[in-house]
Amino acid sequence: MSSKEKDQIQLLQGTLDLIVLRTLATMGSQHAYQIATRLQQVSDRLLNLNQGTLYPALVRLEQYGWIKGIWSKTENNREAKYYEITKAGQKALGAETLKWRTMAALVERLLLEES
Amino acid sequence: MKQLRRAFLKLARLFTNSREEAELAREIAAHLALLEDDYLRQGMSPEEARQAARRAYGGVEQAKQMHRNERSYQGLAQTLRDTRYTFRQLRKSPGFTITAILMLALGIGATTAIFSIVAGVLLRPLPFPAPDRLVILGDTLEGSSDMTARPRAAAADIRNYMRDTHSFSQLGGYQLTSYDLTTTGIPEPVHAVRMSSEVFPALEVAPLLGRTFTPAEDEQQQSVVVLSYSLWQSHYQGRANILGATILLDRKPYVVIGVMPQNFEFPLVPGHMDRSDLWVPLRLQPEEFLAGQAASWSFRMVGRLKPGITPEQAQSDAERVALATVQQYPAFMRSLRIHAAVRLLHEDTVDQARPLVRTLFFAVVVILLIACANLAGLLLVRSIRRRREIAVRLALGARAATLLRQAIVESMVLSVAGGLVGLAFAAAALRLGISLLPETLPRIHEIGLNWPVMAFALGLALLTGLLCGLAPAFAAIHTSVNGTLKESGRTGTTGSGHARLRSVLVAAEIAIALVLLTASGLLLRSFEKMRAVDIGFRPDHTLTALYGLPTYQYATQASIDTFDEQVLRTLRQLPGVEAVGITTVLPSTGDWDGPAITIEGSVPAKRAGLNLTMVSLLRGDPIQALGIRLVRGRTFTEADNANSQLVALVNSRLAERHWPGQDPIGKRFRRGMPETKTPWMTVVGVVDSVKMGSPDERTPEQFYQPVDQTPISEGDFASAGEVNADYGYILVRTHMEPEQMENAMRATVHGIDPQLPLYHIQTMEHAIARSEAPRRFNTILISCFALVAVLLSVLGIYSIIAFSVALREQEMALRMALGCQRSGVLAIILASGVKLAAIGCVFGLLGAVAASHLLRSFLFAVSPFDPVVLTLAAVAMLLLALAASALPARRASRTDPMLALRGE
Repeated sequence: MSSKEKDQIQLLQGTLDLIVLRTLATMGSQHAYQIATRLQQVSDRLLNLNQGTLYPALVRLEQYGWIKGIWSKTENNREAKYYEITKAGQKALGAETLKWRTMAALVERLLLEES
Repeated sequence: MKQLRRAFLKLARLFTNSREEAELAREIAAHLALLEDDYLRQGMSPEEARQAARRAYGGVEQAKQMHRNERSYQGLAQTLRDTRYTFRQLRKSPGFTITAILMLALGIGATTAIFSIVAGVLLRPLPFPAPDRLVILGDTLEGSSDMTARPRAAAADIRNYMRDTHSFSQLGGYQLTSYDLTTTGIPEPVHAVRMSSEVFPALEVAPLLGRTFTPAEDEQQQSVVVLSYSLWQSHYQGRANILGATILLDRKPYVVIGVMPQNFEFPLVPGHMDRSDLWVPLRLQPEEFLAGQAASWSFRMVGRLKPGITPEQAQSDAERVALATVQQYPAFMRSLRIHAAVRLLHEDTVDQARPLVRTLFFAVVVILLIACANLAGLLLVRSIRRRREIAVRLALGARAATLLRQAIVESMVLSVAGGLVGLAFAAAALRLGISLLPETLPRIHEIGLNWPVMAFALGLALLTGLLCGLAPAFAAIHTSVNGTLKESGRTGTTGSGHARLRSVLVAAEIAIALVLLTASGLLLRSFEKMRAVDIGFRPDHTLTALYGLPTYQYATQASIDTFDEQVLRTLRQLPGVEAVGITTVLPSTGDWDGPAITIEGSVPAKRAGLNLTMVSLLRGDPIQALGIRLVRGRTFTEADNANSQLVALVNSRLAERHWPGQDPIGKRFRRGMPETKTPWMTVVGVVDSVKMGSPDERTPEQFYQPVDQTPISEGDFASAGEVNADYGYILVRTHMEPEQMENAMRATVHGIDPQLPLYHIQTMEHAIARSEAPRRFNTILISCFALVAVLLSVLGIYSIIAFSVALREQEMALRMALGCQRSGVLAIILASGVKLAAIGCVFGLLGAVAASHLLRSFLFAVSPFDPVVLTLAAVAMLLLALAASALPARRASRTDPMLALRGE
């Protein structure tokens, strides 16, 4: 195993949804490839993500009614499905972010105390 | 909320699967194209760019599968695909599909129809709140058997039980009666109930309009009435201002104080016809506590148990009161012993219906089992036909679970379709059938296809599908891939395991069908035996009608006598009339009870019980009109009147019981118990015993008396002012067809009293047919079921034999090519069918013996092991099996021997 691969992390269960939602909230409407690229950029290539693994998360979020997919053209006149966050998604993002922060803080505190 | 929305979408996308797939493929293609573009821009060659894009994207198939798993329920989606596949397969073989669905529809439809009867009659709780607290309270009389089954009460019991028991929150007595209701013109009879004021509160049903009676109204003998919904609608057009109106019952005014809701019914009497039209307060009269009426158990009592009191506790509480009641009995009732009995109202209501309904249910379950066995057999045959396909799929890596699911889905699709068609069958059958149900079933109008029944039918369909699917499913899994593929198209006779399974199915079917066939044979024979019973009179050319003289018009015995004499005289003068008479009890109507008698010179053994008999009071020549044969002595004459010696005719049963081997003429007996003071009556004649109910019932000991002598013979029992024979059946024997007398009879009676209605005008033959109706119904029904069962099992034999013949075509051709005669081939096939049938018959006979206890109560003069019936049924089944195998056998014998040589 190369050292580069060792540094890469796997996503925690359920966190992908939050990340995708956050990305769409920040970047506006994006297609799957853009989202994947963005995630890799932000994570400084720490996140090892097959781009195909985004799809289940997209379906899930769409079925929750948090995002919406619309077919459109890229600037190079290629067709792509653009996802954009809905009003319900905006609200959910707030709630989910809070949940995540609480959780992360809790884990952090625990780790501090136990060390 | 979001989970709910998602679950809904996941379900919905089961049905838009192909669109979702296309959308996904398009999205992935677009994604890859974008990736490729980027790599091209980085200076890769098109080939390298495509590969890099694939790498970056990851496994396309995995992504698709993840997407599918996420977007809809995959197990369900698979099942849905199986269902579509099944539909395609079934459309390709419509013959099989229609046979299977119709067979199941028959089974499920019949079972559902009968279940709806079971549910309506036996299982539905009574239409009152907390029905398990409602009980019937009454007496059982030592020495009287029919009161043990249906406890009844006398007037004194009602008073004592209501006053002295502590176990009931409400308790009251009731009695069915009838009144003449006058609305406009001619009075018409209505079914009425005299009822204590506490009964309505005990039932906890509130009136739709107004109120029910109060205890004060009962005690003060107020004339108030509560109407049933149907009477209110039919006679008073549902007018709201009916409350406070006055109606005429037996020409006396009653004030309407309430109307009960539409579904209210009490008492819950069997049949369609006798539902109560109105309720009046019980208003016990002083004479009901006296003399003969004191010993008349003509009331019933219903009560609601206090919270925490069990029926047993209530019974011992009531027993205490019963003992006290006995102590207060007048001298002439000293030898009577009563015990209190408490039964649940529900038990009391459904008791008589239970054996019939249970047997019906048993019969339809048998039909369903046969239908299931047939379907399993057919499916098995199909799976054998598809053995190569299954083997190929297994070889290509199909999982057992997949095959299992597909097989079960196939049988489920069939069974659910069968269930739906069956429900339609059941609905049609119920629509036609309810009017044919015998009058012995209570709560008939509550039978129908309601939700529980529908749920039952669909549950049944699913269960059937599962069970029927299992056999072929496991047969499919156990397909040996190597063996099947190596057979390389040779349709040999391998798969002996399946063959055995098929044989077992067919044999089981034959066995089950035989059980039903024997049952139906036994019932048919019982019916035939019943028809052959000597009913003791000649029902031909006899017309009868019932009348009841209202007390307000015929208050004295003299007025009644005048009416009767006038009717007899006028009818006698009509042309073609042979004999005319009036009797208080009509044979074959089934309802009778009568006094105990004491025989001169016989000392009853201690606790011997009462000599219960029945009595008919006669006027004119009813013995001649009914054609009852006089065995010895004479019948009554004009000389047997109130001033002459008391005389009686006895039936031969009574004569044999009390004077065995002696000449009964001149012997004496009297009404009542030994301690009762009644005068002796002298026997002047003996007549044939007449069946009073249906011919398969016990013949009672019976005596006949002239009406005029009745009050004197009653001694202590007679109450002051009581009138005799204020009702009766007019009997006319004619030379012509009795129907032609109907109008003459009506005209005669109306000529004497224009307002008097005549009931039940019918020929005696018709009356007998009515008494035979319950048995006829049972017999026809079970025979129909047996017919269906036999048909289904013959179909089963046929399809299995036909299929195995098709499988063995090559073998047969080979045999013939090698010199086997056509008759030899015929014999082989027939033998295989008969062998199955024989095995089935052996088990069927064993089953019939095992089921005999279910049938015993329905049989009449026939043993459940009647050798004639058992033999005939078995032989019939064997012959049918032979016939079913004959067709395929003939086809096999016509096999072209060239087939063997030409074959692959």
